[in-house]
Amino acid sequence: MSGDIGVTARQGRMGPGPGQWIIENRQILALPVMFVLVVVLFSLASPKFLTTDNLTNVARQSVYLLIVALGQLVVMICGGLDLSVGSNVSLTSVVSSIVMAIVFAAFPENQWYALWAGLAVGMAVGTAVGLVNGLGVTVLGINPFMMTLGMASIVFGITLYISGGVPIYGIPPLHGEIFGFGRIAGIPIPALVAIFLVGLAYFTLEWTRFGRHLYAAGGNGRAAELSGVRTVPVRIVAYAMCGMMAALSGLLLTARLGTGEANIGASLPLESIAACVISGVSLAGGRGRALAVVMGTLLILLVQNGLNLMQVGAYAQSMATGAILVFAMAIGRR
Amino acid sequence: MTAAAAPLAVPAGPALAVSEAVPTLAVEGLTKLYGQHAALDDVSLRFMPGEVHVLFGENGAGKSTLISMIAGANTPTSGTILMQGRPVEFESVRQARAAGVRAVFQEFSLVPDLTVAENITLGEEPVAGLRRLGLAGVLSKSAARAEARRLIDDLGFDLNPDARVCTLTRGKQQMVEICKAMRLRPDLLILDEPTASLSEHDSQALFALIRRLTAAGTAIIYVTHRMHEIPLIGTRLSVLRDGQFVATVPADTPEDRLIELMTGRSLAKIYPRPRADLGEVVLELSNVTLAPQVGAEPVRNASLTVRAGEIVGIAGLVGCGKGNLAQACFGLHRIVEGEMRLKGRPFRPRHPADAIRKGLWYSPADRKHDGLALELSAHRNMILSGLSFGPSRGEFLRPRRDELRLRDLVQMVDFDARRLSEPVGRFSGGNQQKILLGKALVQDVEVYVFDEPTVGVDIGACLSIYRCLAALSARGAAILVVSSNLPELMGLTHRMLVMSGGSLVAEFDRADYDEHKILEQFF
Repeated sequence: MSGDIGVTARQGRMGPGPGQWIIENRQILALPVMFVLVVVLFSLASPKFLTTDNLTNVARQSVYLLIVALGQLVVMICGGLDLSVGSNVSLTSVVSSIVMAIVFAAFPENQWYALWAGLAVGMAVGTAVGLVNGLGVTVLGINPFMMTLGMASIVFGITLYISGGVPIYGIPPLHGEIFGFGRIAGIPIPALVAIFLVGLAYFTLEWTRFGRHLYAAGGNGRAAELSGVRTVPVRIVAYAMCGMMAALSGLLLTARLGTGEANIGASLPLESIAACVISGVSLAGGRGRALAVVMGTLLILLVQNGLNLMQVGAYAQSMATGAILVFAMAIGRR
Repeated sequence: MTAAAAPLAVPAGPALAVSEAVPTLAVEGLTKLYGQHAALDDVSLRFMPGEVHVLFGENGAGKSTLISMIAGANTPTSGTILMQGRPVEFESVRQARAAGVRAVFQEFSLVPDLTVAENITLGEEPVAGLRRLGLAGVLSKSAARAEARRLIDDLGFDLNPDARVCTLTRGKQQMVEICKAMRLRPDLLILDEPTASLSEHDSQALFALIRRLTAAGTAIIYVTHRMHEIPLIGTRLSVLRDGQFVATVPADTPEDRLIELMTGRSLAKIYPRPRADLGEVVLELSNVTLAPQVGAEPVRNASLTVRAGEIVGIAGLVGCGKGNLAQACFGLHRIVEGEMRLKGRPFRPRHPADAIRKGLWYSPADRKHDGLALELSAHRNMILSGLSFGPSRGEFLRPRRDELRLRDLVQMVDFDARRLSEPVGRFSGGNQQKILLGKALVQDVEVYVFDEPTVGVDIGACLSIYRCLAALSARGAAILVVSSNLPELMGLTHRMLVMSGGSLVAEFDRADYDEHKILEQFF
């Protein structure tokens, strides 16, 4: 028997005391409060934390997770989940590197051929993985958790099979020069890509019919269907978008590293879901905002960076990310 | 089945007889504040042993707040609750139960994957006779089944103790819920719209049960919006309005007077007069047979027509297939035989989107599961289909322009436009239903199918909904209304079809409406 019978009708419009306001809005408050807390704590712990250099560094590092998290956001809004983003990033990295290396070897005089070929194939592969996820979830009716968990394993297996588990060399240096370290007007190109994607995600979710259909499909899929929304294509597109975002992130990471790596995506599923959940995205679907996810991603990166500066090592960072996720879930509980 | 039709005599005057007795439960000066707003304001009521005390009022009048505090689901800001004359403080539902107060709310507390017997005995399961072996905690399934069987037979319900709850209809689930509540024989039983999803037969069984309980001295608080039930089952009736106590009157007070008390205004009549001039036939089903459905009567050979401006009703028991027929018009069930014609053209929808594009809208019976996304705002819920089909359609959203349109539209259903930005999950049932109806107005369609348009809403909201249907009819819309509420259909419609066992068995014109004759066709 639900405990809040009778509180349903009018709760929202009252002006309750500050205590109750905090409790009711704890989800919205949690993120800024944690943000401030983290900044204060780490700046006390390490003098290097609050320097421009370090914060720029954090912003730059956060690009890759941010892009994946935006894809995750789209899927989570329509009531899904994508655990295969990490494997997808790895696959994109390996496949695009191999294509680039082959094309570069064939046409060494013009690096652009290799670049375009690699980018196109990488995006296609990543999107295809998302598409398969989407088809599995909708047409076959497989639970998103199981579908994408299975896909994560399949895709990672393919990645290892293709790469043999070793880094792929032979990428044209132009790739790294532009998409790894390039700057326009002093701003790193990966950051520009991320800013563009945040804007695009915000616009799509808040100002387009497709965005509204995503929220409706996640909020109440049956009601959306009965309102004439074809939720199956909406969900498939959401997963494909998520795959595309993962591919973009994989391509940018490859450019940064200069090699195709099979192991770069391992922590991304957890971190991207954590970034969303911290920002108030509902696991049940129907709720979540792009700009909050930017904050959530930065929070995770700030914590990892702070712990790095305190020289506590990678194991503790993993623990911290998990702890933030669990804490965010505890606060979001209703 | 005459029991359904014949008004059953109310046991005379237990309220008067017990007026000197100690109330089973009394509330004194009960107040519940949410911030500045009083959801319940200084209400004092006495619930006597052996009486059925009907609580009556619009949604948001404070009924739910009152019963939730009596049931221990909510704590009062001030005021006292007296149980057998002694003050008590219920801090949880469990405490209230221990004191002998049991509530059956509209939201079920059943575990879908357990059987009826397992659900009924949940929490206090019978244990196998292995206690002496130190194996306490081993369940005795046979004892649970036997106990459930005994309870079900005792209550006179038609339930299989071994059926899994998720396979049952809502009506049957309601019965399981009542069985669960009755297991420990409470002194005070709260029933929150218990008949909202019951068939006529099951409602009669419930009434018989209530009479037996009151004869044994149980006090019953009965919340209902169905006015015709009140004189059948009630002893006294208390009206709440805007959180305040209005009056306590005998249950046989005339309906007009009750509506006046509830709304605070006088009403000429409940149902708008149906328009006289009708247009062309717009919706036509001929010999429609649907693909068989699990758990519902198979619909066979159904034929009907609806003309422009006409309101046609389909009456019938819960589960007779009338809802499925309505859904089939919208592409939710497959038509395997027969023909459907929309505006003269053959039409076989495969997805709701087809139907809306061709000008047919269906409004589902279950607003929470099928109708609304509760987390989203009223605005977003209402505009959803309009984004693809109405004047508001377009790839890109224009919330300001849409807001202005919605403000106009919600006036048709008497919804407070200032609340459009709130999530619908916060609204009362009546307001949610208004938003659901509002969704129908967002796109231009000429045929409306309403499935139980007023289920579980108060009279005030009912009146708004009736007025809105009449306005649509006046505009020339063809309206098909499926309802289990016969008086409502008799008041609203031009013509009525009766469905029984998956077939349309009778048709009545408004001039020939006769409750007994129509009810006879139900069985």
